Amino acid sequence: MRLGKVIGKVTLSRQVDSFTGGRWLVVRPLSREALAGAAPTEPSLVCYDRLGAGDGNIIGYVEGREAAQPFDEDTPVDAYTALIVDTINYTPPKKS
Amino acid sequence: MMLCRVDGNITSTVKHPTATGIRFLICQPIAADGTEIGAPTIAVDTLGAGLHSRVIVTTDGKYMTEVLKSTKTPVRNSIIGIVDT
Repeated sequence: MRLGKVIGKVTLSRQVDSFTGGRWLVVRPLSREALAGAAPTEPSLVCYDRLGAGDGNIIGYVEGREAAQPFDEDTPVDAYTALIVDTINYTPPKKS
Repeated sequence: MMLCRVDGNITSTVKHPTATGIRFLICQPIAADGTEIGAPTIAVDTLGAGLHSRVIVTTDGKYMTEVLKSTKTPVRNSIIGIVDT
């Protein structure tokens, strides 16, 4: 799972049936620098969401085969929102 | 499997139902000499790893389906060992 910041959403007119009930978020992955406070710069991706994350939320998303596991049927999905983050405690060791 | 350093943790209330009651740590992949490789990843901790300890993280999603007793979990990464030396 990786952390990402929600920067927008996508709406679709038609979609594969098993996606019904969810939404699509545009997410910018958080790098080491972004977790430490810098602006995220990595290319954004689209994430399927059933939890209701909104703009500005930090989410944890999963990529790969596990992204399709929550669905009842085989589903073509690359990124799945697994959790909405409340707090992040990020304290990497200081470089000496 | 990746050698990682624990750089923090996250808390979450709204999450996939299969992911309740588990601890999520921010794990930074590192080389043997401690230099960081790539972006941090979130892994499930069932062992009780501490801040800045070195751990081994597996990306085996099948193992998580056994730990969480659900084949529907999206969770993949987990800590399978804490490094001594």
